[in-house]
Amino acid sequence: MPTADPILVVENIVKRFETPDGVLTAVEDVSFAVAPGEFLAVIGPSGCGKSTLFNVIGGLLDGYDGRVMVGGETVRGPHPSVGMIFQEESTFPWRTVIDNVAFPLEIAGMAKAERLEKARHFVEMVGLDGFERRYPAELSGGMRQRVSMARTLASEPKIMLMDEPFAALDEQTRLLLGDKVLQIQQDLKQTTLLITHNLTEAVQLSDRILVMTYRPGKTKRIVEIKLPRPRTSEIVGSDDFGRYVAQIWSDLREEASKGLKDDESRVARAGGKRR
Amino acid sequence: MATTGSVTATPGAAFGWAAMPLSRRVLLLRVALIAAIVLIWEAVAASGLLFQDVVPSLLIIGRTLVSLLTDPDLKWPIDAGVGGFRLAFELWIPAFYWHLYVTIAEVAVALAIGGLMGLAVGLALGANPFLSAAFERFLYYLGPTPKIVFLPVMIMWFGVGPESKVAMGTISCFFPVVLSAAAGMRQIDNVLIRVGRSFRLNTRQMVTKIYLPAMREPIVNGVRLGLGVALIGTLLAETKLSNKGVGFQIMDAYNTFDMPRMYAVLGVLFVIAIGANALVGRASRG
Amino acid sequence: MTTRASIGRQFVPVAFGIVCLLVFFVLVEALVRIGTINPFIVPLPSEIVLSFKRIVVEEQILPRFLLTCGEALMASLMLSVAGIALGVLLHRKRIVRLATETWIAAMASAPIVLMYPLFLVIFGRSAWTIIMIAFVAALPPVILKTLEGLSSTRPVLINVGRSFNLTPSQLYWKILFPSSLPTIFVGVRLGMIFALINIVGVEFLINFGGLGQLVNELSERYDLPGTYAAICFVIMVSVMFFIATERIERWLRPGA
Repeated sequence: MPTADPILVVENIVKRFETPDGVLTAVEDVSFAVAPGEFLAVIGPSGCGKSTLFNVIGGLLDGYDGRVMVGGETVRGPHPSVGMIFQEESTFPWRTVIDNVAFPLEIAGMAKAERLEKARHFVEMVGLDGFERRYPAELSGGMRQRVSMARTLASEPKIMLMDEPFAALDEQTRLLLGDKVLQIQQDLKQTTLLITHNLTEAVQLSDRILVMTYRPGKTKRIVEIKLPRPRTSEIVGSDDFGRYVAQIWSDLREEASKGLKDDESRVARAGGKRR
Repeated sequence: MATTGSVTATPGAAFGWAAMPLSRRVLLLRVALIAAIVLIWEAVAASGLLFQDVVPSLLIIGRTLVSLLTDPDLKWPIDAGVGGFRLAFELWIPAFYWHLYVTIAEVAVALAIGGLMGLAVGLALGANPFLSAAFERFLYYLGPTPKIVFLPVMIMWFGVGPESKVAMGTISCFFPVVLSAAAGMRQIDNVLIRVGRSFRLNTRQMVTKIYLPAMREPIVNGVRLGLGVALIGTLLAETKLSNKGVGFQIMDAYNTFDMPRMYAVLGVLFVIAIGANALVGRASRG
Repeated sequence: MTTRASIGRQFVPVAFGIVCLLVFFVLVEALVRIGTINPFIVPLPSEIVLSFKRIVVEEQILPRFLLTCGEALMASLMLSVAGIALGVLLHRKRIVRLATETWIAAMASAPIVLMYPLFLVIFGRSAWTIIMIAFVAALPPVILKTLEGLSSTRPVLINVGRSFNLTPSQLYWKILFPSSLPTIFVGVRLGMIFALINIVGVEFLINFGGLGQLVNELSERYDLPGTYAAICFVIMVSVMFFIATERIERWLRPGA
C-alpha cells in the first residue's frame, strides 16, 4: 500500500458504452492509488477495458461515473501533469525528430532556440542523438516510439500514462526499450502507469501490478513486485521473476479464457444472423 | 461511443433545430440553399445588372424548357415498305429529341470504339512489361492534354459531319480507358493468373474468365471517366463546327441570343450527364 | 541493386519505344511522299518540324505561351484558395458537408466547360472568361480532396493533440492541416491539370488567348504544317506542366 500522499487517485470508475447490441459496461468500479515515483502496471486480457481506463485517466473520454484525482485535485480532461503515450504510431510524419520532440514546448510558447535546446536533451535521453534532423519515415518502429516518448517527456509531466507502447515491436526491441523506460523513470523519478497485456513486460518494469477481470473490467488482484531496483532486462532470467509470472499467469489465464469463450459465442451468433 | 447531442445557441434554435433528427436538418439545409440560389438568380434577372436577358427569370427558362421538350417543331418523314405494305407519313417531334439522339449516338459510338481499343491496348500493355515500359509513358503523359486542339486535324481527316465528332470522342475516351485497363491488369493477384494457367486455359478463356472479371472495378472506373470525357469532347466538337446535336443547339441558341433556350438545353444536358455518371457509378458498385 | 546490366535492361524498352515512334514518322513521311496519304490532309512530318522555327518566330510563341501560363496560374491560385477554404468549411461544419457533398461530386462529373457561351456573354471575349471557366470546372476535385484529406487524419494524431490540450484552432493548424497536406496537394494538382485543359480548350473554341488560339488561327488559315506544329507545342507545354506538378508533389512528401 502506498505510504506517501498518492499523486494519482482513481475512484470508483464506471464507464458504459451504447452499442447496437445494447449497453456495454467496459469498466466497473475500478479504484486504485499510485504513489509518487511508483511504476504501476495494469494488466488484463483483451476486452478487459484497460484502454478505456487509459483514455478516462488521460481525460480523452468523458461520460463516466467516479473520479480521477491528480495531485489532490479532481480532473476531467487532459491535464498538463499527465503525459500520454499511445499504442499506435503517433509521431508527426511531417516534422523532423527534433521538431516532434519540441512540439509541446512550441505549444507552450517557448522561443525557438530555447525549445530546440531543451528538446535535444530529451532526444538524448531516449538515445536518439544524431537523428534530430531525420524524418520519422526514415526510422524504425522502435525508434519512432522513442520519439513519441521523448515528445511526451518534453512536456515534463508528473505522471506518464502508457497504453501498450511496445505492442507493435518485436520481443528483443521490447526488452531493450523496457530497459530505456526503466532508466528514464529512475533518472526522472517519474510516476508511471503502464497498460499492457504482456506479463513479462509488466513484471520486468513495475513495482505493483493490477490484474483486471474480463469485461466488465474490475480489479481482480493487486500484486506487489518486490524485485530489486535499479533493474535491467537481465532480471527476466531470475527465479523470483519466474515465480511472479507464474503467480499472475493463472489469474490472467482464467480471465483470458472467459474472453475467448465470449468471442466464440459472439461470432456464432453473428454468423447465424447473417443469412 | 456514446453519442453527444450538442445544443448550441443558433438562430434556428427557435424552430426546435436541435431536437430534429439529422436527416431532417440536412433536408432543410438543402431546401434553404436551393431557395437562396433561386432568390439570388431572380434578383439578378430582375435587376438588369448584366446585359439585357443574359440572366432570364427562371419562369421564362421553365416555359422554354417545356416548349423545348414538347413542341413538335421538326418534321420527321417516315417511309418504310415491308412486303406489299408501304407506310409513308410525317411525324412531328420536338427538334430537341432528334438532336439529343444525334449526340447520344455519337457518344455511344465514340465510347464503343475508344473503349474497346483502350481495353485491348490496355490489356496488352498490362500483360507485357516490356511493351508497358516502352509505350505506356507516352500514353500516361499524353492523357492530361486538351484533346480539343486535335479537332482541326479530325475535321481534315473525317470531314465536317458526325464522323469528326465521333473521332473527337474516341480519342478523348481512349486514354482513361487504356491507362485504367493497364493498371488494373497489373494489379490482378498473381495467384489467379497461375490458377488459370494450371487449368491450361487458352488466351480467349484467360481474358474472359480470369482477367476481365478480376478487373471489373478498374475497368468500370475507366469507362466512367471515359464517358465523361467522351461526352465533353463530342459536345465541344459539336459547338465548334456542326449543324446537329446538342452542342450545336447550345451554340445556335447563343448565336441567336436565345438565352432561355440555351439555359434550357444546358439544364437538360447536365441532368443527363450527371444521371449517366451516377448510373455507371452504381453499376461499378453492384 | 542497380548493376550496369539492370540499368541497360531498363533502358532497352524505353529506347525501343522511341525507335518505334521514329520509325512511325519515317513511314508516314514515305507514304505522304509517294502519295498514298493525301498531302492535303497530312503534311510531311519533315515540313512540320521545319515549320516549328517559323511558328516560334512569326507567331510570337513566347507572348502566347506567357498568356496561357498566366491564365493557368491565375486560375490555379483562385482554385487553391477557394477549394481549400471550402473543403475546410465542409469539414468543420458537418451538416454543410452532409447537405452538399453529393452535389459537389455531381458537379465534378458535369460538363461545365460547355457553359462557355454563357461565360462569354457575361465576361466578354477576354482572359477572364477563360480563367473563370477553368476555375469553376476544376473547383470540385480540390474541395473533395481537401475534405478527404482532413477527414482521414489518423485518429491517434488527433488524440496526441488533445492529450497536449491543444485549442481547436491549434489542432487544425498544427495537426489536421499538415497531416492532410499530401492529399490536399493531390487535389490541387488535379485541379491545375483540369484548369489547363479547359484553358487551352476554351482558347481554341472562342479564338482568343494564347496557345489554344494559335491552333485555331493556323487551322483557319489552312496552314497545315503550322497547325500540326502548333498542336505539338500545346502537347509539349501540357506534358511539361504535368511533369512539373508531379515533381512538386513528390517534393512535398519528404521521406514518405
